[in-house]
Amino acid sequence: MSHFLLMVTYAALVSVFLTVLWRRKPRAQLKLFLQLFLGMVVGALALAWLMYPFPSGPPAPIP
Amino acid sequence: MSKKNRSDGEPKAGERKAPPPPIANAWLASALAWLVPGAGHFFLGRRVRAVIFLVLVLLALAIGCHLEGKLSWVFSGSLLATLGTLGCMGSGAPYFVLRFGLGYEGNYQAAGYEYGSAFLLTAGLMNLLLVLDAWDIARGLKE
Repeated sequence: MSHFLLMVTYAALVSVFLTVLWRRKPRAQLKLFLQLFLGMVVGALALAWLMYPFPSGPPAPIP
Repeated sequence: MSKKNRSDGEPKAGERKAPPPPIANAWLASALAWLVPGAGHFFLGRRVRAVIFLVLVLLALAIGCHLEGKLSWVFSGSLLATLGTLGCMGSGAPYFVLRFGLGYEGNYQAAGYEYGSAFLLTAGLMNLLLVLDAWDIARGLKE
């Protein structure tokens, strides 16, 4: 599985869980799910973009 | 004169509202919720939600095990390892079945080790939230 797919799976799982835990009405559930899911996925992508110019160490040697 | 009639059921201004009556044994509901994910909600009559919670927590555990993530156990004595172990133990019986029944520990050389560890820890933390939720429902603090 790719990193992105795993991240999306994780975000979906946690979002569904918190939505069922915290909301009762379907409309409120949908709203909270979208807020949590998109917040996690878009937030992670934005953070990845921000970190892109700052590599954590020397480049890996080319085999 | 104003302090005379206190037993009419209406809270006066500045008075604390009486706590709602408990609907079930909160200790038992919380213990069940910790032991088997969703069991606390099932005990409290929230059966559909109980099944959803059971599926979600077990799914997180299954994905974590499939990726060969770490099922934490305190061996170094560090604070983070202890917290990680307590978080993973939040899964309840599945943690002990995996760890001691099936001998599962994880494989740090696996490609999905870090992701798997996150899924396993998250499963435990989700179940701990269910324990708190079951407590609140049983005490009548939440619908």
